[in-house]
Amino acid sequence: MAKINLNISVNGRRYQLAVEPYETLLDVLRNRLGLTGTKMGCGSGECGACTVNINGWAILSCLTLAVQTDGKEIQTIEGLQKRPDELHPLQEAFVKHAAVQCGYCTPGMIMASKAILDHNPNPSEDAVRKGLSGNLCRCTGYDRQVKAVLEAARTIRKAQHE
Amino acid sequence: MTAFFRPSEYHRPNNLSEAAQLLSNFGKKAKLIAGGTDLLVTKPPEVECLIDVANLDLNYIRKDDDGIKIGAATTVDVIESSEILSSGPYVVLSEAAGVMATPAVRNMATIGGNICNASPAADLSLALMVLDSTAKVAGQGESRILPISDIFEDVNKTTLKEDELLVEIHIPLVTRTTGASFIKLRHHQTSVDIAIVNVAARLTCSKDHCEDVRIALGAVAKKPVYAKKAEKFLIGKRLDAELIQESAEAAAGESKPIDDVRASAGYRKKMVPILVKRALEDCVRRCGTWQK
Ligand SMILES: Cc1cc2nc3c(=O)[nH]c(=O)nc-3n(C[C@H](O)[C@H](O)[C@H](O)COP(=O)(O)OP(=O)(O)OC[C@H]3O[C@@H](n4cnc5c(N)ncnc54)[C@H](O)[C@@H]3O)c2cc1C
Repeated sequence: MAKINLNISVNGRRYQLAVEPYETLLDVLRNRLGLTGTKMGCGSGECGACTVNINGWAILSCLTLAVQTDGKEIQTIEGLQKRPDELHPLQEAFVKHAAVQCGYCTPGMIMASKAILDHNPNPSEDAVRKGLSGNLCRCTGYDRQVKAVLEAARTIRKAQHE
Repeated sequence: MTAFFRPSEYHRPNNLSEAAQLLSNFGKKAKLIAGGTDLLVTKPPEVECLIDVANLDLNYIRKDDDGIKIGAATTVDVIESSEILSSGPYVVLSEAAGVMATPAVRNMATIGGNICNASPAADLSLALMVLDSTAKVAGQGESRILPISDIFEDVNKTTLKEDELLVEIHIPLVTRTTGASFIKLRHHQTSVDIAIVNVAARLTCSKDHCEDVRIALGAVAKKPVYAKKAEKFLIGKRLDAELIQESAEAAAGESKPIDDVRASAGYRKKMVPILVKRALEDCVRRCGTWQK
């Protein structure tokens, strides 16, 4: 069978691609679209480094075949900023709280955080911890990220009221 | 042939007969894919054709006079937050969904995949077993209905025929005073840990007597199993601490665990009665608080 046609939107841009049935969404994002912000960690769903959002929900791009995402809206870490010189409130808060050391888990961590806030603009600390429970970090720990997400939530709520 | 996962075909059929036709055409070389959270971890190299269940309209939870019906492609997060499964004994299913894997995995994983992967530790399967659920299975011929536990044959092996797929799960309505509970023992280091032992139980009581009971054990045999002797201990009897303890110990006797990376067989066997006791106590408490 020939390659399969795929129509997807990534960070608001439409792409038409022909992919092999076994190519993962992660492969396509990194190797074909050059969006290397999304990381390959364990490759078996345990670490969360490859987390991206599909139609607003956090999913693992290493366990998703590209062909399964036909017609879907995908958002990656590269799609968070509205302008190149302006960080998203989550990115801002991660920097402020030094919630990044080596940074490898950060794109996945931030996309998981984005999905939490998209569905619950005012999460409790517990909800943030639960929401990030699938994202492993081996150097920073978890406290700073949780604080950063809670602060970003406040910033976003404030901006919406203004 | 290489030893890599390199399927050369991918199909997304639009109805069940198309799906059954594809399954039958490709036989052993075909594999259904739903959320992919088991399939893309194991990546079986013999698979040449993937058949996606996404367009079969199997993503729903409905309740009517006949019971609760759940489409096989319903995701675990939807089950976790379903209003229909948020009260009565049905919470055993949403509770099992809530402690399964990680949030992102739950957004992808389906109930049909959990059942048909036929893992001895599958969380949702146990909850469905104690609710006396049945499965509707469709192939090229007539569709058939079988008890959930009859789907499991061996580790990662189901009794489904080559052209068959799981379509729907049916949970009968419970009208009498009933409580159910799900308990999962795991390492808690990360939320991805699958169960060392998991237990589901369902108790139907009249006053303080046990009218009917189901106890299902996970990760202690080649497939999820009912603890039938433990159940027998309780039926028709007045429930008290001693009886529950006896039943829990009977359940341990029925388990046949193995050693693996998660725990030793000995540890598992010791944990079975403790978890069964807690699950039954939960059921008794819930019987008291929930009417019809
Ligand atoms: C990090 C991680 C953590 C996990 N933790 C848990 C856990 O705590 N508890 C737990 O129980 N599981 C766990 N799992 C396993 C897995 O997520 C579940 O079993 C899940 O429900 C599988 O569903 P799926 O839709 O992803 O299945 P898939 O991978 O798409 O399919 C699984 C199997 O079922 C078959 N199949 C799928 N749909 C059908 C159908 N309709 N009819 C017939 N056959 C079908 C497929 O062919 C395949 O053999 C975990 C997995 C990962 C990656």
